[in-house]
Amino acid sequence: MRWITLVGRIGTVILAIGLALLVAWLIPSGSSSWSGVSQPVEPEQYMISELGVYSPQTAFRISVESSDNVRVYLVGVSPDELNDWIALLRETYPNFFETVSNFYTVPLIFFHEAYPEQTSPYLGDPQTESRIWDVAVLDKGLQTHPEIILWGPPPSSSFSHELFPADVLHIWVIVANPSDGTVAVDTKVWDLTTLAPKERVIRPAILFISIGIALAIPWLILRKLKKGTF
Amino acid sequence: MAKGRPFLEIFTYALDEDYRFPLLEIFAFLFALGTFVFADFALYGQTGEAQAYSLVSTLCGFPLLFIFVILILKNVAYGLGSDLDTGVMQTLFSYPLKRRHILTAKLLSGLGIALLLLLGIQIFGLFLLAPDVILKYPGTVFLTYAANLCSPALLLAGLMLLLTLRLKRGGLALAMGFVLFFGGLVISGLVSFIAYGAGSTLVLKIWAVINPNSALQAYYYHMGAAGFASETWGPSFSEVLLYLGAGYLIVAAIFVAGYIYFQRRLEI
Repeated sequence: MRWITLVGRIGTVILAIGLALLVAWLIPSGSSSWSGVSQPVEPEQYMISELGVYSPQTAFRISVESSDNVRVYLVGVSPDELNDWIALLRETYPNFFETVSNFYTVPLIFFHEAYPEQTSPYLGDPQTESRIWDVAVLDKGLQTHPEIILWGPPPSSSFSHELFPADVLHIWVIVANPSDGTVAVDTKVWDLTTLAPKERVIRPAILFISIGIALAIPWLILRKLKKGTF
Repeated sequence: MAKGRPFLEIFTYALDEDYRFPLLEIFAFLFALGTFVFADFALYGQTGEAQAYSLVSTLCGFPLLFIFVILILKNVAYGLGSDLDTGVMQTLFSYPLKRRHILTAKLLSGLGIALLLLLGIQIFGLFLLAPDVILKYPGTVFLTYAANLCSPALLLAGLMLLLTLRLKRGGLALAMGFVLFFGGLVISGLVSFIAYGAGSTLVLKIWAVINPNSALQAYYYHMGAAGFASETWGPSFSEVLLYLGAGYLIVAAIFVAGYIYFQRRLEI
């Protein structure tokens, strides 16, 4: 009897936790604002757009539409790593990095990986500019830092994705045009607010509710029988 | 009869009394949902360990900590007080067990299970919410919980134990527990003002012995949350560990005093 009670109470506690997770899952995500960018991407070039700082509770939904097949990546860098990168760029490109915005942090890190010998890129020079946004530079950068890729689907002309990062991250969207012609790219981003990342919560919720019910049933039946007897 | 069996008997009796159905389930539900509701990610200004500390601190903040303090004060003050008041303790003393083992069984149920519930659920919830924080900074998460639980939760539990044994009445001890809890919150706010006004770190250091979380907070924020002491006090990590150790020594001393009183002085 004591064992059935003990197991039953453990079951009801697990059930309660499962129900709390279910409630967290059921509360709908709120979409607070959206922003959009329309930009052509030159042949064998890529573009990058900073989406902002996101957390597991403040996420976003992104849609990318293009006139031809493109490659899309969502990359995320932790605030610590971003600070390290900025420090590295200040050291590598003294007098230069101060003059450009943080927007250039990721492209310049990729550029540094591809051309470590280049000491001071001059953005006014079309050739340098072209080299910075070269798809080969992007590939080298992503090869060197695969850990920053949060999402990288196969090439297509239409993408849609919802992302809940596992930590606080600075997030960028990268659109690469590997084709020979210019591609028109239309990017839309909706900010989402949620109590808990739905895909990470629903499985444990179902598991906990199932285990909880299975463990609690014998005790609940016994409790009902006992109440009926007396 | 084996020694473990009567201990288990008293432990299960205490569990039944402390957590009548569905009390434990309601607390489990609140802790689990509260983890998602009260988690607050500082998006700007903090990085790495400081960010992990800040996240865990929001979960050890007022609403959830207050729920936890209610639970342990109810168990320690009201539960133990009722047993002393109604004569149940006399029956428990008839078991072939030393008095200290009886008290251990009661505290294991009233305090141990509550702690297990809080930490287990919150850490699991945090893992679901932000797995990278738990996996990257397990030491910071552990230290933040250790500092936040030392005071007021465990310190109050120890004081309530002593007070309940002395008064032999749960209700009065419970009321005094709440007074001490809110008194602690007021003092916590006052300490920063006093330190700022006096321009001295001494009062902050004394308070950090009783409430080690203030030292940990000062370490991560340089007391930035209060905005006053950043210029006056920023302890090193080893100092924080010393304050935490001192805080737990005080808590341990209070519990030892409770055990000694229960074993030698308690007259029923």
